[in-house]
Amino acid sequence: MWVKKGVVTEKAPVINASDFETYKIDLSRIQNLNFKERSALSRSLLVRHLDLGSSNAEEAELLALSNPIYDITRFGIDFTASPRHADVLTVSGPVTRHLKVAMERTYAAMPYPKIVVALGDGACNGSIYKNTYACLGRVDQFLPVDVYIPGDPPTPEEIIKGLLLCKIILVKK
Amino acid sequence: MKTLIKNDVELFFESLKGAFKGHLLELKIISPNHLHLVIEKDYLTIILEYISGHTELKSSLVTMTVTDERHLNGNFKLYTVFSFFLPSDTNVLVTFEIALGKENPTYPALSQRLPSADWYEREIHDLFGIIPQGIELDPLVLHRDWPRGKHFPMRRDFLLDKQIPISEVSHEFSQPHGDGMYQIAVGPIHAGIIEPGHLRFCVIGEEIYKFDAQLFYTHKGIEKMAEGKSIEDVLNLAEHICGMCAYAHSNAFCLAIETLGNIEVPKRSIFIRTICLELERISSHMADLMAITSSGGFGFGASHASRLREMIMRLIHNLTGHRFLRGLNTIGGLKKNISDDLFQILFTELEKFKNQFQEWEKLILNTDSLLDRLESTGFISLKMADSLGLVGPSARGSGIDKDVRRDFPYLAYKDYAFKVPVYEDGDALTRTQVRIDEVYNSLKLIKKLVEDLPSGDIVSVVPKQFPAYEHRLGIVESAKGELVHSIMLDTESKIFRFHVRSASYMNWRGMAQATMGEDNLKNIVPDGPLVNKSFNLCYACVDR
Repeated sequence: MWVKKGVVTEKAPVINASDFETYKIDLSRIQNLNFKERSALSRSLLVRHLDLGSSNAEEAELLALSNPIYDITRFGIDFTASPRHADVLTVSGPVTRHLKVAMERTYAAMPYPKIVVALGDGACNGSIYKNTYACLGRVDQFLPVDVYIPGDPPTPEEIIKGLLLCKIILVKK
Repeated sequence: MKTLIKNDVELFFESLKGAFKGHLLELKIISPNHLHLVIEKDYLTIILEYISGHTELKSSLVTMTVTDERHLNGNFKLYTVFSFFLPSDTNVLVTFEIALGKENPTYPALSQRLPSADWYEREIHDLFGIIPQGIELDPLVLHRDWPRGKHFPMRRDFLLDKQIPISEVSHEFSQPHGDGMYQIAVGPIHAGIIEPGHLRFCVIGEEIYKFDAQLFYTHKGIEKMAEGKSIEDVLNLAEHICGMCAYAHSNAFCLAIETLGNIEVPKRSIFIRTICLELERISSHMADLMAITSSGGFGFGASHASRLREMIMRLIHNLTGHRFLRGLNTIGGLKKNISDDLFQILFTELEKFKNQFQEWEKLILNTDSLLDRLESTGFISLKMADSLGLVGPSARGSGIDKDVRRDFPYLAYKDYAFKVPVYEDGDALTRTQVRIDEVYNSLKLIKKLVEDLPSGDIVSVVPKQFPAYEHRLGIVESAKGELVHSIMLDTESKIFRFHVRSASYMNWRGMAQATMGEDNLKNIVPDGPLVNKSFNLCYACVDR
């Protein structure tokens, strides 16, 4: 029976130094980053996700991270129910008018150091969504963003890499 | 056989004309089964009497759209589309067009007697400032802090990038108060990874007495963004309305444009599009089934369902290069060809998937603890589901035999028959069973389509110029149900009006009703998430 097949989980993605250039656009907030400090990766990381008006593709990929194939909890990364327990705030989608207040309150409720990850093209640069009466634009106009994970939506592998980078940033911050 | 069908449709036209007597201004035949009637504004409600007098026609409201044509003919125009099922298995769409005038546009509301029109009319009031007379007009799309009666964002004279400052007014729910009654507020930011929406349970003890929701948090104004853009740009935008139904949106838009321009899609593209639509359906249903088993407290089943879903996602990625099927379609066909070898891989991989899915199905349908949670939870009766206009698996779980793929066939569904699963109990279990059956049907259909896959061109010639200011529909069955795109182009073949009515838009009110339950089949608070997941609606589709 296939249920007893064994481990289906795949290997962790390898992080190269070049990944910092892909994901980290704003380096000014982190000084003296030493990539070789692998001990940072052994720490746990709690993530609060915030949908600010994405198409739900980013959410579907985040849900996929919990399946047995990616199994994100083996890295010590987990999703929390409250921003008060979160090290990282991942946001997706361009900021909508109706969610601006909720976004500000969630950010204010987080403990320091607040790490913000822009997930997907909508959050990183506004994607194809133009500014309208209800759509206010990309996320870094409202919150300081530390890591950008571009993609339409980013694949689960890319999201795992981005979150592992957050662990290194967390130590340095 | 053909003459009989024609007579049937003709008879129906005659009786419809008779109902409107002298108030019918114009009659156009768009296609053999799509009528377009222009009628006088104050007589739209005649259609309601016609429907209640002809219940055997099983008519239902398909969509309601307003266009701002003041620069053309000095009018706002309302397009209301109904579907009718004629006795000889012919199905007809009828569009009713009324002109509403320029200043203070009003018309007699439909939702007094047609509950499924409620959300449409509130949306029309919010975005266009048109007043359907005779109903209460609570804000729907724009939240309470939007200044009432001053700014109407979908009118053409409201500039694209104009923004209104946000004020501190919050939404007030009209909830009952009394001894032992309390309220549970949930959202807009939820505990899990789901989309934003504010839910309000009014509870006595543990039993849910009333349920209400404030949605449209992710409203981006996609319909406003689309105005003035080229057709290809809006196709891209349509794919980004929702991730779970991305390919269904893409196809609905292409279908609308292709009907407008009389474009014939090459045979190979038709087959590939259909295969991909079915793959998206399986992927979406697996996500739903995962959510149901996980909300039902059966983590083992949920874990394996999510593994099976990842299998399908990877097959889609392997086949098309994108996990959500974006960027595959173009008007008149496909952007790129997919080689036959990839379909052979798909064929063998789906066999493996089917074997594992069978075992999974056996597992969950034999787990008493899960069945106990699903049975009689979130009950919605046939009568209620019909009056709220439910669509898709949620409707089929309540005994409504409705499926666009069979009733208004498009693409390869015209030539391939399949069984539509219908269950009558109307609870979370039947909605789960409908999804399981549909996964099997989709697998069967994909198998047949891959076997018969023709070779040849993938894209046909697309005209540069399309007819201007013609209202056209693209209706497809997305995984969540009937999805309707209405489009209208201007003289330069740019988008003039783009309106999306998703399946979740119709099912949301059904979900709210099912949460409240009926008669003695009430739900308790822990059932809330399970009822929600048994419908598993997209917020992004609703909010746009």
